[in-house]
Amino acid sequence: MAYSSYVYLLLFLLGTFVIYAILPKKLEWVVLLLSSILFYFATSGKLILYILISAMTVFGGALFISRADSRFADLKGGLERDERKRLKKRFQRRKKLICYTTVLLNFGLLIYFKYSGLLAETANGVLNGLSLGQPFQIKKIIMPLGISFYTLQAASYLIDVYRGKYKASRNPVKVILYLIFFPTIVEGPISRFDEVGEQLYSGHKLSYKNVTFGLQLIFWGLFKKLVIADRADILVKNVFSNYGQYSGIIIILSVLLYTIQIYAEFSGCMDIAVGSAKMFGIDLPQNFRQPFFSTSVNEFWRRWHITLGAWLRDYVFYGASLSGWYKKFTAMIRKHFSEGAVKLILPLPVLFLVWFGNGLWHGADIKYIMYGMYYFFITCMGMFFEAPFAIINSKLRIDTKTRGYRIFQVIRTFILVNIGMLMFRADSLNTAWQMFLSSFKGVNLSVLTDGSLLGLGIDICDWSIIIFSVILMLTVDILKEKDFSIRETVSEYNIFIRWGVYIAAVVLVVVFGAYGANYNPVAFIYAAF
Amino acid sequence: MNKLIELLKGLRPDIDFESEKHLIDDGILTSFDIIEISSEIQDEFDIDLTPLDMVPENFQSADAMYEMIKRLSDEDE
Repeated sequence: MAYSSYVYLLLFLLGTFVIYAILPKKLEWVVLLLSSILFYFATSGKLILYILISAMTVFGGALFISRADSRFADLKGGLERDERKRLKKRFQRRKKLICYTTVLLNFGLLIYFKYSGLLAETANGVLNGLSLGQPFQIKKIIMPLGISFYTLQAASYLIDVYRGKYKASRNPVKVILYLIFFPTIVEGPISRFDEVGEQLYSGHKLSYKNVTFGLQLIFWGLFKKLVIADRADILVKNVFSNYGQYSGIIIILSVLLYTIQIYAEFSGCMDIAVGSAKMFGIDLPQNFRQPFFSTSVNEFWRRWHITLGAWLRDYVFYGASLSGWYKKFTAMIRKHFSEGAVKLILPLPVLFLVWFGNGLWHGADIKYIMYGMYYFFITCMGMFFEAPFAIINSKLRIDTKTRGYRIFQVIRTFILVNIGMLMFRADSLNTAWQMFLSSFKGVNLSVLTDGSLLGLGIDICDWSIIIFSVILMLTVDILKEKDFSIRETVSEYNIFIRWGVYIAAVVLVVVFGAYGANYNPVAFIYAAF
Repeated sequence: MNKLIELLKGLRPDIDFESEKHLIDDGILTSFDIIEISSEIQDEFDIDLTPLDMVPENFQSADAMYEMIKRLSDEDE
């Protein structure tokens, strides 16, 4: 059930909302739970059993950890410092065992569903190289819906309880609802239990503002998905499937359009998810913050898929940085290298883990791992050349604080991100490389005017709609970057202007959406992860 | 406090830790500076930092770091 489908919007969401609005506040969580289960069942059928059993292990594991904390708090009173430390260590070991076991169990299921094909393929390749044949069968396994998002949320809940950020919930319903809440299960945002757990469970008084703001977000998301992304998909699919026939500007344009497509689609899906939750009075975390205004790839990843970046920061980056092995590694590097070299070497292992994790999370394919490694490489280069570039800039008297320099940085980041998107979209690394090379061949600006662009699957009307819509999307992003709230501003106008804008938005989506007889429905890209 | 200032100066001699109050907000300290500082603080003050302590508020200034160290030492007592 895609978020952009009639079934979701007019039947599922509307139906859930009506029942939610009719029932008393204390029963609202029941509506959200049942609708989330129904949503999951309608999409994944009996695989819902997997997710429910997994949710119960998460609930039970976290509860055990919290109980160990309470038991330690009861026993530590009156003990000497050393004895207390020993007791703390003992309880810490127990907590760690449960936390690791439950996290590994859930990641194990993720590995089974998502990565067993890649593992079997790799093992076969290695064994075949050693003339031992290909013993592993590669089976196509159907993944439970949103397993990659769900597993990260489950792990964050367990680890937060283990770290003592909050106590485990004694109510299994709260945990299940947090894990399978229907607006977030497909593509996130990857929320944290302390952000949304209570909000989902406690009732909310219906508010006109929440409902209208939620609906506006949904329509904005639909506009980005149906008008921009699905239309761009036609050209992107055509060029990427037949890349051998194209070169130069056409390849560059198809990569650029893919970047626009994935941004419009993923951020659009987030708008629909956040808007759906908002209608019920629930605030979900933000997943995008105008990423294409970033001046570096690091900044880009703080603005793009924010909740994934935050997850990797909190549980991989900080987890690894404060671990025992990293302390040993730090001591060893400090002993053998100069201060300057230490600063460059120390970040490498944790950055590698973060980017490897980022790449692997996106998919069970070597190209996704290399996608992560691409960003690892850029981050490392940025670090290594920071000092030399500072010297060059100073010698050439380049003022890095000017607007012009900032624009240069934004364009540089945008180009690097587009190269990453090429790897992300291409069928294989080899295809990506071939397309990258052919983008430099036969660069001829006349293809922009000689009608070549009209032979790529979309006509002049589609092109006009894409260009107009991208300008509109860019304008909205510029206003957001300047902290201008369009929704707040529109809501302050009188009823005629306000509703005029709303109706125009609906008409825009209905009239210009890429659906119907001439278009094929396009699945959300991130839903496959 | 003096011990902490000495430690910080040893790691980043270019920063005036006595007067800077927005080390994170102003982008003076990077995430790897924080990791290095955390590692040194743990060894020097015999406390355990967890990822939960790795929040900007705890590293905005030397005073904020000192408060964190005091709090974690008290929790250990």
